[in-house]
Amino acid sequence: MIKLEHVHKTFANKPAVTDVSFEVLPGTLLVLLGTSGSGKTTTLRMINRLIEPSSGQITVNGKLIQDQSAENLRRGIGYVLQNNGLFPHYTVAENIAVVPKLLQWDEARIRERTVTLMEKLHLPPAEYSDVYPAQLSGGQQQRLGRARALAADPPVLLKDEPFGALDPVTRASVRKEFMALDELENKTIIMVTHDVQEAFEMGTRIGLMDEGRLQQTGAPEELLFAPANDFVANFFRDQRLSLELKTLTLNDIKPYLPPIAASDNYQPHVLPGTTSCWDALEQAMHTEGALSVDFRTEVFTMDSRSLMTALQVYKQTAANGSTTKSF
Amino acid sequence: MEAQQSLFDFIQQQSGKLLEQTLQHIGLTFISLLIAVLIGVPLGILITRKKALAAPILGLAGILQTIPSIALLGFMIPLLGIGAQPAIVALFLYALLPIIRNTYTGIKEVDPTVTDAAIGMGMSRRQLLYKIQLPLAMPVMLAGIRTATVINVGVATLAAYIAAGGLGEFIFGGIALNNTNMILAGAIPAALLAILFDGLLSLLQRMQLRKARKAVYALPVAIILLSSFYLLPSAYGTKLVAGFTPEFMGRKDGNLGLKKVYGLNIRTVVISDMIMYKAAYEKELDVISGSSTDGRVKAFDLVVLEDDKHIFPPYYAAPIVRNATLEKYPELTPALNKLSGTINDSIMTELNYRVDYLKQDPARVAKDFLVAKKLWLPARNGTKGTIRIGSKIFGDGYILANMYKMLIDGYTDLQAVTKTGLGGTKICFDALLNSQIDMYPEYSGTGLLVILAAGQQTVDSLIADRQKVYDYVSNAFMQRYQVRWLPPIGFNNTYALMMRRQQAAALHIKSISELKEYLTVKGKE
Repeated sequence: MIKLEHVHKTFANKPAVTDVSFEVLPGTLLVLLGTSGSGKTTTLRMINRLIEPSSGQITVNGKLIQDQSAENLRRGIGYVLQNNGLFPHYTVAENIAVVPKLLQWDEARIRERTVTLMEKLHLPPAEYSDVYPAQLSGGQQQRLGRARALAADPPVLLKDEPFGALDPVTRASVRKEFMALDELENKTIIMVTHDVQEAFEMGTRIGLMDEGRLQQTGAPEELLFAPANDFVANFFRDQRLSLELKTLTLNDIKPYLPPIAASDNYQPHVLPGTTSCWDALEQAMHTEGALSVDFRTEVFTMDSRSLMTALQVYKQTAANGSTTKSF
Repeated sequence: MEAQQSLFDFIQQQSGKLLEQTLQHIGLTFISLLIAVLIGVPLGILITRKKALAAPILGLAGILQTIPSIALLGFMIPLLGIGAQPAIVALFLYALLPIIRNTYTGIKEVDPTVTDAAIGMGMSRRQLLYKIQLPLAMPVMLAGIRTATVINVGVATLAAYIAAGGLGEFIFGGIALNNTNMILAGAIPAALLAILFDGLLSLLQRMQLRKARKAVYALPVAIILLSSFYLLPSAYGTKLVAGFTPEFMGRKDGNLGLKKVYGLNIRTVVISDMIMYKAAYEKELDVISGSSTDGRVKAFDLVVLEDDKHIFPPYYAAPIVRNATLEKYPELTPALNKLSGTINDSIMTELNYRVDYLKQDPARVAKDFLVAKKLWLPARNGTKGTIRIGSKIFGDGYILANMYKMLIDGYTDLQAVTKTGLGGTKICFDALLNSQIDMYPEYSGTGLLVILAAGQQTVDSLIADRQKVYDYVSNAFMQRYQVRWLPPIGFNNTYALMMRRQQAAALHIKSISELKEYLTVKGKE
């Protein structure tokens, strides 16, 4: 668990972070989203004391961060950086073993842990143990960076633009891979990014920052449909529709779907209700607009037009402040 | 004439000495390098942390680097005397800049993401330094050590000037004696050492990171081992220590004659003429190879030992001039001859004393003398031609060159310019032959033994008689080089062994034979 309360940071009398407060619960991922200079990285680096806050309190796992030595605090926090920061003079295995060594694990335990992680992250130990980072591809380096951060199984993970250095294609696949990692269960994760798509795809919650202030913190749909101020509303303008479609599931818009004849256009491939509207629309392209959806209690057939109509109604309802989904 | 000796013969003949000098050279280089690494690396690390110190420390090390090496050695003498200590300190100061600077740059240039990751993962400052910064900065640091090593191999040749040994002994001896083989016997090994160490270190620098880890641990061991070479020689010794110039060391009328004729065996260090007298005065040395008219004999209260077996030939100074110049400007000869017979030994010692010890300007001393002798005339500022007067780097030469300039300017319509400080005999005489200068003051004995390199029989038949020597060199120079010896100036600047007056009196030593006797009887008790 990570908790920030009224945290401020000024550099040479210029405020970099102003009155930031939030809480991240175990098993959730908070994305700090914002443009360069918005204070998101400074906020992240205050949590592992790479930067000391000017005022305010930060608690990690119930303990104030100032109450322990910076080294010990950091050894309990996984840290992933944009350019990985792999040690070029250490082999893959040695890179992974850095924190366990700092924590003085015994040799056998380190070896076992290293092998496990390498296997999970698709770096077969037989092939890659003694290889240096420079010999790995960009995606592999990214995976190694993650393996290193997870090596000591820290309860808390901080990630600073972790996919920033990758090309868009690799980026998408590495992201999916990351989401699927069982190592992340029950971890408290904060990730910094300036990529809106990435934020919506990965964040349990999103904290949108601008000029050192947290403009709004909430679930992705909260930021989209109930923006706290004009800045938040304008921030997603360019990608609003695709974000809305990706964020909402068929379950979310079900109450607003206009009924159509149930049987005449029944599709053999039934989508679950948890499917995002975006994916449903994509599916509809292959089926001349018709879709069958399993809402557990009933199977619904609909088409792309009715989906868009339901979305429209959902948005209006959300703007009026009462939807079936509770934020 | 003896048959020309080949370089190989020379090296074979002098192999013992060559080995000793090479070991000394390696020792000097690496002791100073070791100290420079021990001090430079921590300093370099310090200034990456205390940024305010970076500019002053790098600046200071940079200034040290710009001090001419011979001057730096000179500064060391009042502080540390002569011998290994000042040489090591001077070399250490030269090695400092590349080591500090490269340590600093090497650490600064470590990818900030890597150090950020290391700190973020919970490394302490110490762990960061040893696990990340130093290993990654190592290639750059090694490049600095490599530069320092090559600089040190080069500068260590100058250690011969302050009795610290090394290959400079051969190099400077060879230059002074016009002995190319001797120069090469010193210069080639010095160059080879530089290439060898440079190559080994570059190999280390380019090694795979993993292997380099072990090699880097081996490096300090190797440096310490190489440093110890310096301690191996000079384990022998006698009661008294002699300091001889590189030139004196190799001359038949110098150390070779002392050994052969007198059987003198004394612990000897090689030292520059410039600091020899002072070193004797300060009891760093007991016996030195001075020149009889040097002003410092008077200044430092030294006494000349009698050359009772006559090994030092007469060194009567006379101007030697290119015959072509004399024929072109006949008025030159009478002007130059004005000085003939006017300066005896004690006058020359006095003049040298004023220049060497009282630090008066040689031009002023020269003018004062000419005025006193009523020989001085104001310069005519003639435009008929230019006469270039050379001189060696010793006091005699400066003063005489200035006197001749004034005589030529005052008595002829020629314009004289001086080119003083032409190093030793070889440099001066080569300049004369190559028509870069027209004249310079030379000594009859030097002409006979160094320039003409007369055979043993010839020397033996002439050496006792000053006139015979002068006549012989006059004729030979005219025939061989078209260079004319004008009449001698009067003083005899011969080699002489000298000791502190007090010590000589206490030990009852008045002549070289008595010195030899003292050493053989009492030296080995």
